[in-house]
Amino acid sequence: MNEQQFEQLQVDVHDARRPLNRITMQAELIKMALQGDIPPEKALQALDKVIAECKSCSESLAALVDKFRPDSKAKSE
Amino acid sequence: MLTVLLVDDDTEFLDVACTIIEFLGHEVLTATNLEEAKDWLDKETFDHILLDFMLPDGSGLHLLESLPENASTHVTLITGHPSVKGIIKDLCGPKVDYLVKPIQREDIEQALSRKTKSASTSARKKPGFTKHFGHLIGESACMQELYKLVGRVSKTQANVMLLGESGVGKEVVAAAIHQASESEGPYVATNCGAFSKELIGSELFGHEKGAFTGAVGKKEGVFEQAENGTLFLDEITEMPIDMQPNLLRVLENKVVIRVGGTKAIPVNCRVVSATNRTMEEIAESKVLREDIYFRLAVFPITIPPLRERKEDIPMLAEYFIQQLNEENGTQYQWQSTQLEQLTAYDWPGNVRELRHFVHRAAIMSDPESAELELPKTIESPFAKKQNLSSGLKAGRTIEEVEKELIYATLEKVDGNKTTAAEMLGISTKTLYNRLHAYGDLNDND
Repeated sequence: MNEQQFEQLQVDVHDARRPLNRITMQAELIKMALQGDIPPEKALQALDKVIAECKSCSESLAALVDKFRPDSKAKSE
Repeated sequence: MLTVLLVDDDTEFLDVACTIIEFLGHEVLTATNLEEAKDWLDKETFDHILLDFMLPDGSGLHLLESLPENASTHVTLITGHPSVKGIIKDLCGPKVDYLVKPIQREDIEQALSRKTKSASTSARKKPGFTKHFGHLIGESACMQELYKLVGRVSKTQANVMLLGESGVGKEVVAAAIHQASESEGPYVATNCGAFSKELIGSELFGHEKGAFTGAVGKKEGVFEQAENGTLFLDEITEMPIDMQPNLLRVLENKVVIRVGGTKAIPVNCRVVSATNRTMEEIAESKVLREDIYFRLAVFPITIPPLRERKEDIPMLAEYFIQQLNEENGTQYQWQSTQLEQLTAYDWPGNVRELRHFVHRAAIMSDPESAELELPKTIESPFAKKQNLSSGLKAGRTIEEVEKELIYATLEKVDGNKTTAAEMLGISTKTLYNRLHAYGDLNDND
């Protein structure tokens, strides 16, 4: 892997970490809702967002694999 | 309440973080890029800035340049990768710290309460003490002996009686025994001196609904509550003597009958009792029936007074100040001369007195400074007791010691001169003569 590819990987990992950060924060919201600190319906909304972020994270990781596949265009770029 | 600026280009993160920060009781404003953040800085003063390292229009570090040099604003940089922390450490001063994504609520809470700083400083520093059995602090020979006893007895089911002066930490030792026992049940503590004769039965053994006026529902007593655990009965010698046969029955038969009830409920717990009287006093004063004493004191442990383990004073002082620092977000530190001052004192009120003294010093000191301000003298209304025990030193005259003994005896018997004379083995007339000579009596007395 050359320097340029490594930089690209760093950016991609940064993007993949974003949904993880969101999931963590949504989980904190769910904890607050369960403890009665915020309305319980917020927990449901947060769970929907967690699911959406999991899908997004999965897509980012799939795209990342595609990008670094030996025969992919991204590799040749 | 703090005014916080939160800068991050991820609006969803901003949204949730705002909810959390507001819930923590702070006011929060947000920006999604450097430009917006700079605008806020022109208009407002912030106590704390939570700043994403990578923003669409540049690095978060550029915002630091916009901060007035003498501003007291604390900055927490939010980074996606731990490697950035090295750069931040080198570039920024002590007012800047960092958080690594993904972030939890506790991270935000700590960053805002400045606890991160003090907690991490104290974590980096050697704690200076070990908590034995999760509760006990001190490395002196007499404490090592105590740990040995606690370790041994915790492996058995024997009832323990803790003896020691007021403030030596009997309840802490009881909790340590419970922890070392690794028993399944809970630790339940009650004070036998705190209940009226009428209520102590209900406290210890529980009551059935309607057992007495005011018993609107049934209640479990402490013996039932401590099932499979440890029951700590403090000030056992203050328990009314006519209640003691009931206690004896429970200790012998391992069943309780609730007040107003008929059913015998089996109970199983270790009883740790405590008193500040000595074994001799217990035997002489007849405050505890002999049969109860032998049931409770299967394994008696005497906890040493603080003046007999002076080398532990710096450790205890360090522990108390660390606790207070954590509670209040302060960073007080002991100076070695202060610790020497504490060690020189005899602490008649024992560890409790030391803890209160440290607390008082922390209240008196400037929370922004690390320096602790000690009261000029350590004074205690109980100091006479200490004087008496340290009174027999070479160089003092017999008259001085005699005078002290007379006053200490009078205090013990609430000023009753006939009893005091009897205890001192002198005639009442001689006592009056002495007091007269000390100028403590006028002619009418």
